[in-house]
Amino acid sequence: MSSDLLSIARSGAKAARIALDVTAQNIANASTEGYVRRTAKMSEVSTTGYLGQTSDVSLSGVRVSQVVRNADAFRQSEVRRTGSDTARADAEVTGLSNVETALEQSNVYDSITSFESTLQKLKEDPTDSSLRASVVESARTMTNTFQIASQQLDAVGNGLHFEANAGVTEVNRLAQELARTNVRLARASDATSDQTSLLDQRDNLLQQMSQYGDIATTFSPDGTVKVQIGGAAGPAIVNGGSTDALTAATAADGTITFSTASGASVALSGGSLAGQNLALGKLSQLHGDLDALAANIVTTVNSVQTGGVDVDGNAGVAMFSGTDAASFSLALTNGSQIATAPAGAAAKSLDTTNLDSLRNALGNADPAGKMDSILFDVSSAVSGRTVTRDALKTISDSAKTTLAAQSGVDLDSEAVNLVRYQQAFQASGRVMQVASNIFDTLIGIR
Amino acid sequence: MTTFATSTSAFYSRSTLDLTSLRAQAEKLQTQISSGNRLTTSSDDPVAASRLRALSRTDTLSKIDTDAANRATSDLNLADSAMTEFSNTIIRVQQLATQAASGTMSDTQRSSISTELKQLQGNLVALANTRDSAGHALFGGQTGGDAYTVDASGNASYVGTGSAGQLALGDGQTVTRGVTGPEFLSFNVNGTQTDIMSVVKTLSDALDAGGAGATTAANNALTSLQAGLDSVTTAQTVVGSRLSWIDINVQRQTAMATSRATEQKDIGGTDITEAFTRLQELSTVLEASQASFTKLSGLSLFSMLS
Repeated sequence: MSSDLLSIARSGAKAARIALDVTAQNIANASTEGYVRRTAKMSEVSTTGYLGQTSDVSLSGVRVSQVVRNADAFRQSEVRRTGSDTARADAEVTGLSNVETALEQSNVYDSITSFESTLQKLKEDPTDSSLRASVVESARTMTNTFQIASQQLDAVGNGLHFEANAGVTEVNRLAQELARTNVRLARASDATSDQTSLLDQRDNLLQQMSQYGDIATTFSPDGTVKVQIGGAAGPAIVNGGSTDALTAATAADGTITFSTASGASVALSGGSLAGQNLALGKLSQLHGDLDALAANIVTTVNSVQTGGVDVDGNAGVAMFSGTDAASFSLALTNGSQIATAPAGAAAKSLDTTNLDSLRNALGNADPAGKMDSILFDVSSAVSGRTVTRDALKTISDSAKTTLAAQSGVDLDSEAVNLVRYQQAFQASGRVMQVASNIFDTLIGIR
Repeated sequence: MTTFATSTSAFYSRSTLDLTSLRAQAEKLQTQISSGNRLTTSSDDPVAASRLRALSRTDTLSKIDTDAANRATSDLNLADSAMTEFSNTIIRVQQLATQAASGTMSDTQRSSISTELKQLQGNLVALANTRDSAGHALFGGQTGGDAYTVDASGNASYVGTGSAGQLALGDGQTVTRGVTGPEFLSFNVNGTQTDIMSVVKTLSDALDAGGAGATTAANNALTSLQAGLDSVTTAQTVVGSRLSWIDINVQRQTAMATSRATEQKDIGGTDITEAFTRLQELSTVLEASQASFTKLSGLSLFSMLS
C-alpha cells in the first residue's frame, strides 16, 4: 500500500487550515470597498499506480489548487459604464443647480419689476423728487443685481473649472497607479493571493477612473488592462506599464477641451468631467443671455431718455452705461435727471410723454419676460436633468448592488464555511488519530 | 430553484439607499409644510415657478395702480369741492348782479356791490389756482406753476396746458386725473367765448362806471353767470362719473388681486392636508424600514455559533 493515512490527513488538515484562512480573510474584508470574495478551490491529489501495480490504491490527499476570485467581468463593466453616466449627470445637475441659484438668488427678476413699478409710480407726479429718487435707487439696485448675478455665474464657472482640473489630475494619478499595477500583474504568478489582491486593486482603480470619464477597457490574459478614455474610439491613456497624460484647455466660451499629452483629442461622453463640461456650456449660453439682456436695457432706456428733457428743462442724459451684465451700471447721479417730459417742454413740466415712451419701450423690450425665460431655461434644464440623473442613479445603484451581491462577502455563508472547514480540520485530526490507533494495533500484535 | 444572491455589503448599501431616500422625501415634505411653499427652487416645477414670478410681478405693478387710483380719487375729490365753492361764489355773484340790475339802485350802491364783486373775483382766481395733493395747480393741466395769472388791471388769464394727464388704473384702463381751468370756467355766451372771471370783472367794471350802462351790463351778466354755473355743474357731474369709474376699477383691482392670491396659493402653496397625510405615511414606512433593518442586521449566524 503506497498511500499514507497520516500524510493524507495532514494534507486535509492543511487544506482546511488554508480554507479557514480564506474564510477569515473574507470575514475581515466584508465591508472593504472593492474586495471580491475569495474561495479556496480544492483538488484531489492521487497518483496512478506504479508499473505493474495499477490496481494499487495510491491516494495522497488534497491540495488547494487555486484561490478563486469570484469576480464577474460583465457586471464590473456595467458598474463602470452606469457609474460613468451617473457621475456625468450628477456633475451636470450640480453645476446647473449652482447656476440656477446664482440667477435666482441675485433677484434680477424682482429688481427689474421694481424698476418698472417705480417708473409707473413716477407717472403719478413726475416732478416729485422722492419718486424720482426711488426710480434712481431701484435702477441702481437693478444694475447691482445684474452685477451680482454676473459675478455669481463667474464664480460657478470657476468652481466647475477647478473641479474639472482636479478631475483631470485625479485621472492621471489613477492612470499611473493602473500602469504600476499592470507591471506588477505581469510579474505575479497565477492564482496566488498576491495576484488576486492586485486584481482587486486594478478593478477598484478602473471603477474610480470611470467616475471621471467614460473609459473602455481591454483585458489581457495576464490580467493587465489597456484603458482608452472617451469610449472605445478614444486614445489609450494606460497601455501596459506606460501612460499618456490627459490635459484640459479652456476654450474662449469657457468650456473645456480635453486631449492627451501625445496630442490626440478626447471627446468625453461620460463621467464627471463630461458633466462639468456640459454645465459649463449651458453656463456660457446663460451668461450670454444675461449680458444681452443688460445691454438691451441700456440701449432701450438710454435712447428714450436722451430724447426727452429732465425736470430742469435740460436735455436728457444716458441713464445707464455698460455693454454686459458685469459692466451694467447707473450713469445718472440725481433723480432730477430723469427725462420724463418730451423735448421742448419747460422746466418742472408735468407732461409725462417721454416717461410714457420709456415705459412703452420697456414694455416692448420686456426685460422681465426675458429674465423669466432665462430663469425658466435654467430651471427646466435642472428639473429635466434631475429626472435623468435620478433614473441613471437607480440604474447604477442597482448595478452596484448586483455586483456587490455577486462578488461581495455574505457573512452568513462565511459562518457556514467557518463551521464546515472547522469540521473538516477536526475530521482530519481524527483521521490522524485513527492512523495512530492502527499503528498501535499493528505494533501490539504478538 | 431560483437563488437570490446577496452579500452583507449589498444588504447594507441597499438599506442605506432605501432609508436615505425615505428620509430625504420626509424632509422635503417637512420643508414644504413649514415654509408653506411647495417650491423651494424654480427647478422643482419650472412652469409653476414662471407663473408665480409673473403673478408676483403683476401684484407689484397693480399695487402701483391702486396707489394711482387713490391719488386720482383725492385729486378729483379736491376738484369736486373746489367746484362746489365755485358754484357758491357764482350764486352769490348772481344775487349781487340781480340787485345791481334793479333800476332803483343808485351808483353809490352799485359801487359798493362792485367792491364785493372784486373780492369775489379774487376768490374765483384763487380757487382756480387751488393746489392738488402733490402741490401742483389742480386746474392747470400739466403745468408746474399756477393755472391762472392776473395782470396789472386784474384780468385773469389761463397759463396752464391744454389737458390734464391721465393715470393708468391697470389692464389698460385710464382715468383723466383732473380738469383744466378752461374746461369748466370758460363757456360760450351768444357765440362769444368768455370765462367766469372776466364776466365778474366786466360786471364790476361796468358797475364802477355807473350810469345807464350798469343795469344793461348787470342783465347781460346774469345770462353769462347762468351759463357759467351750468358749466361748473356739468363739470362736477363729469368729475363724479370719473370718481365712480375709479371705484369700478378699484373693485376690479381688488377682485383681480384676490384671484391672483388664490392662484398663487393653488400653484405655489403647500396643500397642508395632503402633505401631512403623505408625511404620516412616509414616517410609518420609515419607522417600519428602520425596525426591519435593525431586526435583519441583528440576524447573523455568528450569534448562533458558540
